[in-house]
Amino acid sequence: MMKKIFVIAILFLLLMPMLSACWNQKELTDLAFVMALGVDKGEHKKFDVTFQIVIPGNVSSGQNGEGQGLPIAVYTSSGDTLTEAARKATKKISRRLYYAHTNLIAVSEDIAKDGILDLMDALDRDPEFRTTTELVVTRNTPAEVLVSALANLDKLPVNKITKEIKSTEMMLGENMSINIDEFLAGLVSNGKEPILNGFIVKGDVEKASESEDLQHTKAVAILAADGLAVFKKGRLTGWIDHEKARGVIWILDKVKSTSVNVDWNGRKDAITMALLRSKTKVSVEIKNGKPIIHIVIKDEGWISEANTVVDLMSPSEIEKIDRLVEEEIKQQILASVKAAQKMKSDIFGFGERIHRKDPKLWKKLKRNWHDHFADLEVNVKVDSYIRREGIRTKPFWSDLNK
Amino acid sequence: MSILSSMLKKKQKKRQNDNYRQKQDPQKPEDLLILSDYKDNMARIKGEFGNSTDIVFREFKFGRKKGICVNVDGLTNQELISEFFMESLSVSDRDDNLQDSFQLLADKVVNLGNIQLITDWNQVYDALLSGNTLFFLDGYNHAINVETKGWEQRSITEPSTQLAIRGPKDAFTETLRTNTALIRRRIKSPNLWLESMKIGKVSQTDIGIMYLKGIANEKIVLEVKERLKGIDIDSIQGSGYVEQLIEDQAWTTFPTTYHSERPDVVTSHILEGRIALIVDGTPFVVTAPAIFIQFFQAPDDYYSRFDISTGIRILRILSFFIAVIGPAVYIAATTFHQEMIPTTMAIAIAAQRENVPFPAFVEALVMEILFEILREAGLRLPRAVGQAVSIVGALVIGQAAVQAGFVSPVMVIVVSITAIANFSTPSFAMAIAARLIRFILMGLATVLGFYGIMLGLMFMAIHLCSLRSFGIPYMMPLAPFNPRNQQDVFVRFPVWAMKNRPTFISKGNMVRTGENQKPGPPKQEENNQTSNGES
Repeated sequence: MMKKIFVIAILFLLLMPMLSACWNQKELTDLAFVMALGVDKGEHKKFDVTFQIVIPGNVSSGQNGEGQGLPIAVYTSSGDTLTEAARKATKKISRRLYYAHTNLIAVSEDIAKDGILDLMDALDRDPEFRTTTELVVTRNTPAEVLVSALANLDKLPVNKITKEIKSTEMMLGENMSINIDEFLAGLVSNGKEPILNGFIVKGDVEKASESEDLQHTKAVAILAADGLAVFKKGRLTGWIDHEKARGVIWILDKVKSTSVNVDWNGRKDAITMALLRSKTKVSVEIKNGKPIIHIVIKDEGWISEANTVVDLMSPSEIEKIDRLVEEEIKQQILASVKAAQKMKSDIFGFGERIHRKDPKLWKKLKRNWHDHFADLEVNVKVDSYIRREGIRTKPFWSDLNK
Repeated sequence: MSILSSMLKKKQKKRQNDNYRQKQDPQKPEDLLILSDYKDNMARIKGEFGNSTDIVFREFKFGRKKGICVNVDGLTNQELISEFFMESLSVSDRDDNLQDSFQLLADKVVNLGNIQLITDWNQVYDALLSGNTLFFLDGYNHAINVETKGWEQRSITEPSTQLAIRGPKDAFTETLRTNTALIRRRIKSPNLWLESMKIGKVSQTDIGIMYLKGIANEKIVLEVKERLKGIDIDSIQGSGYVEQLIEDQAWTTFPTTYHSERPDVVTSHILEGRIALIVDGTPFVVTAPAIFIQFFQAPDDYYSRFDISTGIRILRILSFFIAVIGPAVYIAATTFHQEMIPTTMAIAIAAQRENVPFPAFVEALVMEILFEILREAGLRLPRAVGQAVSIVGALVIGQAAVQAGFVSPVMVIVVSITAIANFSTPSFAMAIAARLIRFILMGLATVLGFYGIMLGLMFMAIHLCSLRSFGIPYMMPLAPFNPRNQQDVFVRFPVWAMKNRPTFISKGNMVRTGENQKPGPPKQEENNQTSNGES
């Protein structure tokens, strides 16, 4: 009996190393947390990779008061593949590069136009990389600048970027969070093309990475989300901006809140409706062997501004505003559909829906889908409803003229 | 393990040559009889006790006969005996030869208490040492044994280790009789049986076995008695001795018998069909069989409403797990699974650990051991010094070590959380088990990370399921799962819904509460009547 237990115990011990897949004990202090990764076109090698590494002592207030100094350190290395660049970077960095907390991968416009496909497998395959990492394209600036820029509100610049995307998604609806996984899903899908958020550094680009920049209340260099990058066959083909970008987000049913201006009594943008909730439904109708897309949007909002004389107590007036808002939204959406059709890139995933609706028809359309998409008939129906009008019924404008 | 048991066997062999035992061997039968000359008897007692000074002899004259009265000072109620001598023996100086003077003496002595005639020497020693008084009369070869027990005893105080907010405030004392009385006062039923036993070759410790006839499982009662009879030891110094000698499984850190100093707890255990062992000299009464979940049931659970006590019980089980895996999770998360920590927290921990010279495991081990030392010292320290030491300890662990950069503040938080969580287990025996397992899991976490913790917990679960307490599976209502007995496990059912006794312990007389015990507003008819009366 005793012997048996002994044998079993030894067996367990022998099995342990074989079963332990993650035999990689590493102390926190031996790790360099890579917060963001920037990829540019290299001069000699294919990629120039920039690593934004956090300096923990300077970010978190330790026992010796507030952390002093810069929160991040930036290293650059180059290689023909991402792995090569990462391995070469170890020459310059004293700690083991650790990617599990990487929140952002910035890709320059050049890479987005040519070569982004060569990056994706490394990001997808590495167990340390999270596929929920945000992927952005830097517009008109090298990715290095974005990755090495400092931010004044958030200690970690990377947080500024990811939070910025999320807050615009929540409040404005011109950008949406897109991670590696979603981008890859768009890349491999037949009936859908991926989009990515654009980011620019405004102002004095040179100063973005200097701590002096943080001494100004109004930063000299500002990181800002700007537009959506449209891809086609794995290459960047163009940009969609502002209201058109919002239309894209709207069709993708990611708009949570935004504001819509309408004219009233000849005054331009007199009334603003802030959205409370919105739901988008996209359906396909096959008519005479041709697909027609129906986009139905149901949204609710409240009147956040009324800069004119208007009787908000009257249901018929409200009804009128409803109609105007519907028209405005419809125009925005149609504009973004046109923009996408012009680029012949189905970023809305209409193709996927046709595939689901009529697989046989899809087989025919599949080959020249880009062309078919360009002259696809798209109907938009918006159903707006004003839920409330804030804490004031009649605007002061109504009493102003008396 | 095998080495250990073989060592134990060797020791056992040695002990058989113990010369103390040979002295205890029965002597010739004629030597055991009380002699008729009282002086011989006195000499013999003096000889046997080596002239111990606390043996008190009083010579007296009864009629024309002389006699002695013997007892042990400190164990007997001296006041009572003095009074007796004053009133009965000295005053009445009658002289009648006609009657048997021994019988006369017995008639007098009966005023003192329960009397008994003895003729055997062994009985003499037993009687003397349990606080009785013996009367020898010249010319008679037997003695009168009077129960005059009365020694200094601690009065019933508040429990010091198992506190309850709303429960009764009495606790067991060191005296067996007081303890049995405390239980009897709570169960006024002739079915509450008490069996007595003496264990310990030298100490002759009294042990009471209390159970409810008809509710306790006869098999378990027999088994307990069987095991108690099997005990062969020189002395029993406390219920902990008995506990260790009758356990099912010796190689485990988990307690397989329950002990309590609260009469209400023991009473409720007896009512569930368990058996209580009351050991003279310890204020802790052992109950058996014990199951795992029982160690998380506090007396307050039953005194407050079921929803509250259910929440608190789940909290206790949670804190047991925190106490077991707390530092292990810290080690595993910071050395293996940094990806599991939220980014900002990972950076914060990294910043704090930046200047710490030791790896996480060493840091955790040092802090845990330091805390255990402080705790142990706090237990043993004289009360006057205790406070000073605890302040120094708190400063050393809490502040100085952090400021000096030897340990990170997170580690201090982890250690203190586990320590506090550990104290929330109602049973000290179970809390100690958690302390021990914590260190094993810390080692496993260092080697294998979370995989190691899981391995350790799995092993613990398997081990727990293999345990038995007097034949009852330790994890009973959970594994094997028993849907009928879930009334008092994680969810403490309302008192009116706990209809039956746990079926795995008691056999027979299962029903606890009658039908329709759920309280509610008065019935409709009564309602109408009262309202009519008022109007």
